[in-house]
Amino acid sequence: MSRDKQLPPPEKSALTLGFMRLSDSAPLVMARETGLFARYGLEVALAREVSWANLRDKLVVGKLDAAHLLAPLPMMTGLGAGGMRANLLTGLSLGLNGNAITLSRALWEALGGERDASAPGMAAALHERIAGSPGAGPLTLATVHLFSMHTFQLRMWLRAGGVDPDREVRIIVLPPEQMCDSLARGIIDGFCVGEPWNTLAVQQGIGAVAATGHEIWNNAPEKVLGVTEAWHNHHPATHLRLRIAIMAACQALAEPAQRELAADILSQAQYLGLPAKVLLPALTGRFCRAKHLAPMDAPDFHVFGRYCAGFPWRSQAQWMVRSSGALLGKDIAEEQCRALVQQSWRPDLYREAARHLGLPAPSRDARPEGLHAGCWEFEPGVVLGPDLMIGGGQFRLSAG
Amino acid sequence: MCITKPDGTNVDGIALRFPRRNTWLNTDSSKPPARVMLVDDSPERAQLVEERLWAAGFEVVAVIASAKGLLFQIQQHAPDVILIDIESPDRDVLESLAVVNHHNPRPVVMFTQQDDPDYIEQAVGAGISTYLVGGINPEQVKPVIDVAIAQFRAFQALREELHDTRIQLEDRKLIEQAKGLLMAYQKLSEDGAHRMLTRLAMDANQRLPDVARTVLATLSPGGKDKGRSR
Repeated sequence: MSRDKQLPPPEKSALTLGFMRLSDSAPLVMARETGLFARYGLEVALAREVSWANLRDKLVVGKLDAAHLLAPLPMMTGLGAGGMRANLLTGLSLGLNGNAITLSRALWEALGGERDASAPGMAAALHERIAGSPGAGPLTLATVHLFSMHTFQLRMWLRAGGVDPDREVRIIVLPPEQMCDSLARGIIDGFCVGEPWNTLAVQQGIGAVAATGHEIWNNAPEKVLGVTEAWHNHHPATHLRLRIAIMAACQALAEPAQRELAADILSQAQYLGLPAKVLLPALTGRFCRAKHLAPMDAPDFHVFGRYCAGFPWRSQAQWMVRSSGALLGKDIAEEQCRALVQQSWRPDLYREAARHLGLPAPSRDARPEGLHAGCWEFEPGVVLGPDLMIGGGQFRLSAG
Repeated sequence: MCITKPDGTNVDGIALRFPRRNTWLNTDSSKPPARVMLVDDSPERAQLVEERLWAAGFEVVAVIASAKGLLFQIQQHAPDVILIDIESPDRDVLESLAVVNHHNPRPVVMFTQQDDPDYIEQAVGAGISTYLVGGINPEQVKPVIDVAIAQFRAFQALREELHDTRIQLEDRKLIEQAKGLLMAYQKLSEDGAHRMLTRLAMDANQRLPDVARTVLATLSPGGKDKGRSR
């Protein structure tokens, strides 16, 4: 409590935060519902939005103060790829992992999901199937946004099996809420989406999971708390309080009991509006790949508090910009990439908030990826989670 | 039915399907009209906007609701411009098309279901609403936006007017009910009851319907619930 008094008064205390209908909005929802925003002097309204474009636009116009954003969006908005150009930034990641690749039940069975349901096994089986039926039209797989971890994870998974994501399948964008319906109607053959939409497909019996996000890249970045640079400059104290409150919510979400509570609260109509039984498997780490299969232990399906999950690593941001550039078919110059990352990825803001909560924070902005199969100590007191990538991928990038 | 365009060509096939076509308003006859697709979940509004677009000389190739297989519809109709509800989940789909496929249409975001027409203006002002990638000239899109905005405004105004009218009617009903009660309890004439309500309103510095609501809540049996909210 004594730390709270050291906080400068907020420039603005009534805020509106935007979120999408996804389980990983939990930190925002729980910070509100457990009184953490109020504890830090903020009166927060949460507004559910239907598209990432809308979240971004409302942030830029100032209708939202902050938003639950796909991790690559701040940089890609800074680049002007997509709808518009604006300077967004983040000082707090909202969690790690949380996605999965679901295939239609028929395709999953045809790929031998019953025998080997491992992520690399399924990708290899997909490659065999495509190679074995040259006359067939390409399979259609959906992602939620072009510039998203979903797209990158889908492509990593395909490549791990030897499938060329640009030539051998068709990748389209669909809103999360349209995924299950499109899969059931046979418009798409599979999708990569955040929870609870995979579990919904599994429980409805229309789909089965070929890979979890965690299996593709252990503890990959996912969503961030995004604000505009101008908003941050005008409201540094409000932004600090906001980050502290959400960080505290993320810490609480590291507790299993909180996850059940979160599923209960998220199921309410104004948040996800889905039965808690659809939200529970991923949130409690008892994830089901297919309707008839027993749940598997997936304690890191969503990571909110462990492994310094909130830290915005600039090395990961660099990777996202490069991967996005590859999608656009252009090389983003080293200098531009660095400028984008420096402007929009603010580890200094994470450290500032972590200090107030007495939480450890990495002192360096870059980390290697793809090297650790278990928890490891990055610096004294800073423990990070596994970071392996499917197919043995690795990267070591600068802080930008 | 056969319609002759200003340049003398006939377009009967399409005109039969779309009898509202009115190409004479299209000021620049040397270019074919922009082919517009409308994505709107409000059918009444979509109809009005569609009519205005036809009247202004644009060709409306399709009107669909969101989540109705947008990608397939785009492939089929190949519109030049897409007008879409700013609150449509399909906006991310359109943005992805604008980014990766330069042959695809250039969507333009326009409407909102929310009672906030200012947002559109702000959004358009901030350059949010158009995803123009090469090819089409922004000046060709501008008139489409202008027509759609004008019609959107008209629709919004109409809806607000209806809303106001409904409130007025409800207020009148409340006042009549309150007058009736006052007449019964205070043995007043209708005029007397009206004067009493007016005086109460002036004393309390409240609107007449608000005072009527208080009277109803106080005097009518079980009226507390009735009077509390509209």
